Amino acid sequence: MLIAPAVVYVLYLAFYPAIESVRGGFETPIHPFSLYNYHFVLSTFGTRPILNTFIVTGAALLLQFTVAFIVASLLSKPFKGRSAFTAIFLIPFGVATIVAAVIFHDMFSAYGGYVNSFINLFGFHAIDWEATFPKALLVLILADSWKNTPIVMLILLAGMSTIPSDLYSQAMVDGAGPFQRFFRITLPNMAGFIAIALMIRGISEFNIFAMALLIFPYQLLTTMTYSLFDIVNPDPSYAAATILLGFVLIFAVLIMIYRSKYSRVS
Amino acid sequence: MVSEYRSPKSKYYTYIGIAIFSFLVLLPIYILAIIALGDPSQTVAAYYPALIPSKFTLANFIKAFSGYGSVLIAAFYKSLETAFIVASLAILLGYHAAYGLSKLSFKVSSILIALLFFSTMIPSLTIAIPISVSFLKLGLYDSAFGLALAQELIVLPLTVFLMMGALQSVPKQLESQARVDGAGFFQTLYQVIFPLAIPGVISAFLLSWMMSWDEFTFAVILSPVHPTLPILIYFDSTARGDILTATSFSLLVTLPVIVLTIVLSKFIKGSYLTAGITG
Repeated sequence: MLIAPAVVYVLYLAFYPAIESVRGGFETPIHPFSLYNYHFVLSTFGTRPILNTFIVTGAALLLQFTVAFIVASLLSKPFKGRSAFTAIFLIPFGVATIVAAVIFHDMFSAYGGYVNSFINLFGFHAIDWEATFPKALLVLILADSWKNTPIVMLILLAGMSTIPSDLYSQAMVDGAGPFQRFFRITLPNMAGFIAIALMIRGISEFNIFAMALLIFPYQLLTTMTYSLFDIVNPDPSYAAATILLGFVLIFAVLIMIYRSKYSRVS
Repeated sequence: MVSEYRSPKSKYYTYIGIAIFSFLVLLPIYILAIIALGDPSQTVAAYYPALIPSKFTLANFIKAFSGYGSVLIAAFYKSLETAFIVASLAILLGYHAAYGLSKLSFKVSSILIALLFFSTMIPSLTIAIPISVSFLKLGLYDSAFGLALAQELIVLPLTVFLMMGALQSVPKQLESQARVDGAGFFQTLYQVIFPLAIPGVISAFLLSWMMSWDEFTFAVILSPVHPTLPILIYFDSTARGDILTATSFSLLVTLPVIVLTIVLSKFIKGSYLTAGITG
């Protein structure tokens, strides 16, 4: 069979290590099965990394979807130069994650940062952006959204183009305003596409790593796993990785339920 | 199209909106360019750096290369090697898998597609650590080939979806005609169908090349001793390194990919990213 290599590949390099990771999380050098690693992880880091991960994921998805909806509805109308602007909006998609992190690190650094330089034009004082949790969170979310909104925008744009324009003209004849049209026609008809975009982005949001290492000096599930990775015995890092995997899978299942509930069968 | 029914005035609002968002998209790129090319006294060394610098210099690049040239070239070569292995392997595995999937019944193929898609849900970090342990035993740790094998996981599902789209555009009769004319199974697969799927193959190749070029998580865990370019940039932008060096390298990494993105913008479509999942 021609598919066999790809399937075996995925099974061997994705599923097998994942199971290994879960198994390793319950293992200590003395006991084959114990919850010690989880106790260790939670007592060292507390529940803060889990909470931070949720805050980052929620806030980033909210910003990305809001902006992506606005841009996609602008680009869904025919106008001169549309393809050129679509190409411009795709540029961040090609910029490496770590490069985006470096740029935003430079822009928001306390000393010699461009954002401080800009707010200074209006007479405000320089702000230390990484000093407190909400400000660092803002920088992380802006950087991540800058890089990833194009993907959401593309998926939503594909979804918008599947809605027949007759629906809109009929709604307008019936007297529906722009907000009613958005909430009653656009959103329900795009449930399938929204679910896919949520799935793709939500999972990578839980896994946000490279950017967080550089511009977010607070612990997330991923950075916690990475800092545990350096210690001699890998088992605690397996436990942390398993917690991460667990949350991602719960999230994925929730999205699938949403999709099967609201999406039309096409 | 969503709204063909609008007042002529709304066109101006569209342009204003587009202009604002274009500005926001391009601003960080502009700042990357002025830090890399500007005189340090006006960029990183100033408390309030100038938004439009007046002095430009290539000194940052020269300094980055002179102190660091061999490491940079090694990292560049490793990134390039890894990306080419990833992209070639993606075509090899993806083309065959997509052809096989297109021949199977809908029920079986959707289960296999779900399996492929499910693999993208597993966090890279969760599997990177067990992979690094087994790669240490196999001697693949820190090698370009080992890293490519791991990165392949990220690109393979997308490649298969892209290829399935490309194969759908090849007419079915052509295949049976080739078989009637006496072409063998593999001859049909490689000499009749493959040339017709070339546009899809090229876009899949370039996309997976690009994803490998940018990849961070697997690279930092599986290959920290001889790093790829993104890892080198990370090391340089932490306390130990030099932010000017990191910025210069960043510009070097970014330029080819931006060009590639603009060239590919016709192929990067939302419907590809969702292919195989919708319907």
